[in-house]
Amino acid sequence: MKSREEEYKEIFIAEALEYYDALNRHISVLEKQPQDDHTLAEIFRLLHNLKANAKAIGYLQISDVSHKLETAFSLIRNKELSFSDEVVTVLFDGIDMLGDLIHNIDNTTAGDPDPVLLRNLDIIVDSLADNTIELAKVQRYHTSKNLSLSDLIYIQIKKLDNLMNLVGELIIDRDRILSISRELDNDELKNVSSHLYRITDDLQYSVMDARLVSIGTLFNKFPRIVRDIAVAEGKVINLELAGQDIQIDRNILQIITDSLLHLVRNAITHGIERPEEREKKGKPATGNLSLAARSDRENVLITLTDDGKGIDLKQVKRAAIERQLISAEAAKGLRDMDALSFLFEPGFSMAKEVTEFSGRGVGLDVVKNAIDSIGGRLQVHSEKNKGTTFSMRLPTSIAVKGALLFEVAGIFFGIPLIHTDHVIAMDIDELHEVGNVLVADIKGETVTVVYLHELLNAPEADMRLGDKSRLKGIVQNIIVVTYNNRKLGLIVDKLYRQQDIVVKPLSKPLDSIDLYGGVTLLGTGKVCLVLDVPAITRNFINRR
Amino acid sequence: MKQGGETAAKATPGPSDTPAPVHAADTTPAEAAKPAVLEEMVHLIVFRLGTEKYGIKIEQVKEVTVTPSVTRMPRTPAFIKGVANIRGDIIAIMDLEERFGIRPAPLSPEANPNITYTLVIEAKDYKIGVVVKEVPQSLNLAMSKINKTPAFLQDINIQESYIEGIAKVGGRLIIVLDMLKILTSDEVQQLAG
Repeated sequence: MKSREEEYKEIFIAEALEYYDALNRHISVLEKQPQDDHTLAEIFRLLHNLKANAKAIGYLQISDVSHKLETAFSLIRNKELSFSDEVVTVLFDGIDMLGDLIHNIDNTTAGDPDPVLLRNLDIIVDSLADNTIELAKVQRYHTSKNLSLSDLIYIQIKKLDNLMNLVGELIIDRDRILSISRELDNDELKNVSSHLYRITDDLQYSVMDARLVSIGTLFNKFPRIVRDIAVAEGKVINLELAGQDIQIDRNILQIITDSLLHLVRNAITHGIERPEEREKKGKPATGNLSLAARSDRENVLITLTDDGKGIDLKQVKRAAIERQLISAEAAKGLRDMDALSFLFEPGFSMAKEVTEFSGRGVGLDVVKNAIDSIGGRLQVHSEKNKGTTFSMRLPTSIAVKGALLFEVAGIFFGIPLIHTDHVIAMDIDELHEVGNVLVADIKGETVTVVYLHELLNAPEADMRLGDKSRLKGIVQNIIVVTYNNRKLGLIVDKLYRQQDIVVKPLSKPLDSIDLYGGVTLLGTGKVCLVLDVPAITRNFINRR
Repeated sequence: MKQGGETAAKATPGPSDTPAPVHAADTTPAEAAKPAVLEEMVHLIVFRLGTEKYGIKIEQVKEVTVTPSVTRMPRTPAFIKGVANIRGDIIAIMDLEERFGIRPAPLSPEANPNITYTLVIEAKDYKIGVVVKEVPQSLNLAMSKINKTPAFLQDINIQESYIEGIAKVGGRLIIVLDMLKILTSDEVQQLAG
């Protein structure tokens, strides 16, 4: 395996060579049509990107030459320099020099760029008024160039999606074959199928790897965005980025892009105070915003932390009462964690004024839905005057998920591990009937518990979620799931193993049933329904 | 999709333990193929719901198979029997008797009560299974035998637009359903409700 750095370098070289090809193409066009603004703009863009990329990765000569060329072309664009024969020659030479530098990036013996040429570039840039200075002749040291094709190819994400789906199908069949070969007890078949197992595993990880991008591709857009919002809002903000190298599936990153932008806007407009206000509170005038990613087991954890005023829980409760999400009575005894979960209710907003950047009626529920849709988890912690932290736990891959398998009323179910906290076996005596629900003390915390069989299978009119007599047996297996800062214990009939599953989305007309995130086939060929924890939680809350 | 050309062959029940489909007495495929018969023919898969015979045009049926084990899906409408794994595709299995409120009739004596059959219907971008209790039959008949304007529709529970017509074959009536219309109806589309 190559190191990430090596991989970045390869990508840089491949891209740079592509830029170089494009530059050659455009400058040839420009020679024939010197007035073509579009071509000029394109050359300008290519040089600019090349300069920035080279600088970022530390190839200063390349960035230097690109910069000189960029300056020359900007003068041409501004009509301060004419695209005359002499200038054309120097520019062609300059672009060739770029090509050489890129080709010889690893070749330390190649030496420095031709000083004569560099001087020529300086001359055309600097001596605008005075065109009399003689441009030195440059020895063209390569008349015939090597033609080579790039090591990098662009591929539509759709093609990778398709590949991933096929791998998913393959894994399901593989598991079936594996299970059959165990039943048949044929050594040769067992050998072949265990080889098949390893190959498909490798294949799966290779395809997953091909879809990974570094989070930096998204994070690096934020310094500018934060700056713009901060200026508009009259705030002073220092943005810290961390973990840009963490890798994540490209589609997952795409889906959370808007959410992250939304949260960042919120943090600046509603979270971080103006400098004067901060100083009054004894905080540094500059607000701190930190956007960090880190790997956490199979998942990626992205946290956005601000040191602003925090979320006012009283205000949240008031807004919740106004919107009749909760009675004033119940709001009093509400725990902070539970109060915060109101933030994610559809349309819930505490923004009094609509600013340019925030409070346009897009609530946090949109953020939560986006994260739910990829099977992620969103949590919020907030402390008054200290700040707010949003944590998103995201799967690294969409198709393959770790899941906990269990059985309820003879049907196989799975719950993605990303939503499960822990599993606990409990005596029926430890469950208490409180109101219309069951509660239990789990690790020092009072958790609402629901018998999944009752929730899923009891006739609607006869559903009694708070009735212990509906439970079977003495010992109850409980899977504790977390969603939207709320914990919920699910009592299941039989608990099986933890397993990587390929979730197949339900096809029409079943896709509209939100209780299920999809289905998967077990090695035995049995269908296993994958429960959608957000939907189950909502379903349970609505019933109360 | 690719097997379009094979549909006719596949429309016979797959497993060997089931009897070959019985062609209606008045038109055998051989007869239908006679060049003399220039009339437009239609090929139906015929099955029983309640006491009546129903038919679906073979173009809408991808295959007929013995119903595999069906996994019930809690909190779905009663007419969805669950999901089943048919050749690696996980598809919904629908019961048309439940769907249209047709009272089930007793099985004919020769039918095996432990086996049902599933017609896999291929809609535009998905498949769905329709479960029937007795071996579906294949029937070729002239288009002209399908009466487009039946006068007694109010007697059945099925919405008029789902019915393509009523065929009269040897004194029996066959109600020809348009599965695609049934599947695109709002009722099925909005299961979640």
